[in-house]
Amino acid sequence: MTIGDARIRIPDRISRGDLITVNAIVIHPMDTGFFRTAEGQPIPAYFIKDVVITYGDEQVARFEWTSGVSKDPIVSCTLTADKEAPLTMVWTDNKGGAYRQTVNIAFAAA
Amino acid sequence: MGSRRSFLKGCALAGAGLLGSGTLTQGERLLAASGLDPGDPEVPNEEIARILKDLFGNRPIRKGHLSLDMPAVAEDGRIVPVIIESGLPMTPDNYVKAVHLIVDHNPDPHLAAYHLTPALGSVAIQTRIKMKRNTWVRAILETSTGDVWAAYAHVNVSLNGCG
Repeated sequence: MTIGDARIRIPDRISRGDLITVNAIVIHPMDTGFFRTAEGQPIPAYFIKDVVITYGDEQVARFEWTSGVSKDPIVSCTLTADKEAPLTMVWTDNKGGAYRQTVNIAFAAA
Repeated sequence: MGSRRSFLKGCALAGAGLLGSGTLTQGERLLAASGLDPGDPEVPNEEIARILKDLFGNRPIRKGHLSLDMPAVAEDGRIVPVIIESGLPMTPDNYVKAVHLIVDHNPDPHLAAYHLTPALGSVAIQTRIKMKRNTWVRAILETSTGDVWAAYAHVNVSLNGCG
């Protein structure tokens, strides 16, 4: 796993109008800037500071984070699955790195 | 915890009575400035007072309509689970537009802000955070109509997760 690898998990079967839980993880060190290496070198702050969730063309949530969120941050929230559309998350870190992951929300045949 | 605080508060009141003056402790002064209820965790320092003031101005911060689920004891301060839930509506004309997570005794206390929209359908956020030492944690939400609701959890931290 390398920095920026990300996964979004949604239920296998979704029907129109379901309130689903969206689970996401991104691989990132989330360094606070307070620690040093074994050799005594300070480890600079390096963390995800912004997360944007888009469903279709609508931004449905935005999270502002600090280095107080644990390493390899997980987050989950709910979503009303009212349309078949891609669900995209973009995580941006304090050094300008941006990491994107998308899952497709599609409805199971009735 | 509660009994110690009420004991201290009692002492402060008794002291004020003896002196015949309205002298407040620092905690009470910050509390009065923050719009919190008397039963809520005291505002420990100027930094938390400023964060609350910047976010919510002079609006009252009342307990309710929100739950903050955290372990009473966190063995490893690097990974402390957090669950925030609210039953408040998420309709276009009345919804929870933000939830703020504040850890009083962390180096960077305003740990996260979650900006939400009605599309989410409900407020149910789970994450994992780092904690430095024993402290109160505040989850405070703001609705699109301007109401502010809070929940608090006290967490004892065995291993410092912040360095």
